[in-house]
Amino acid sequence: MTPSAYAPAPQRRFNVGERVRVKQADPPGHRRTPAYVRGKEGAIERVCGAFPNPEELAYGFDGEPKRVLYRVRFHQHHVWPGYEGAPHDVIELEIYEHWLEAA
Amino acid sequence: MNRNPADIGGETMGEMSGPIDTVDHGMKFWEKQANALRNTLTGSRVVRLDELRRAAEELGSRYYALAYFERTTEALRNLLLEKGVFTQDALERKMDEVRRRYDA
Repeated sequence: MTPSAYAPAPQRRFNVGERVRVKQADPPGHRRTPAYVRGKEGAIERVCGAFPNPEELAYGFDGEPKRVLYRVRFHQHHVWPGYEGAPHDVIELEIYEHWLEAA
Repeated sequence: MNRNPADIGGETMGEMSGPIDTVDHGMKFWEKQANALRNTLTGSRVVRLDELRRAAEELGSRYYALAYFERTTEALRNLLLEKGVFTQDALERKMDEVRRRYDA
């Protein structure tokens, strides 16, 4: 599969192929990063672009500054304890930069 | 950890899990009206989709008790009350008025 860099964000922190870890945090509020990948490691599959921050939009604010959104690829056996599928199975999720740290 | 509808992946028990309903239930007339209202209000940016998602999450366990259009409509009502687009009193007066109209 060829990674795409649709609408790249020039001020981004991560590039395609780099390893990242999702922050292990449980802040209150509207959070769209699923609990099951928090603390997990994956790789940047593509840069989706920069978008107004949904965590701010959710409370009536303008979502500025925009946040860079990435598609991150995780191995299923890493995400799910006791996963019994094929070792190459992956799950891809779109996650904002402020939820990611270098791994 | 706080569990929200976005966290449903991988759940095997509890109110968030279970088989996916793949039956097309169609749309009742009021559901079409409610959906049109929601689209009009997001289109004109009176409310944002992210606000509606947040308001739906704030329904708590009611989120799982309500059908889809009941859930989105209740979230929309709460959001419009929160924003002061109308008051609870005004809403109840209007609902009484509409009820009387249908009883006639």
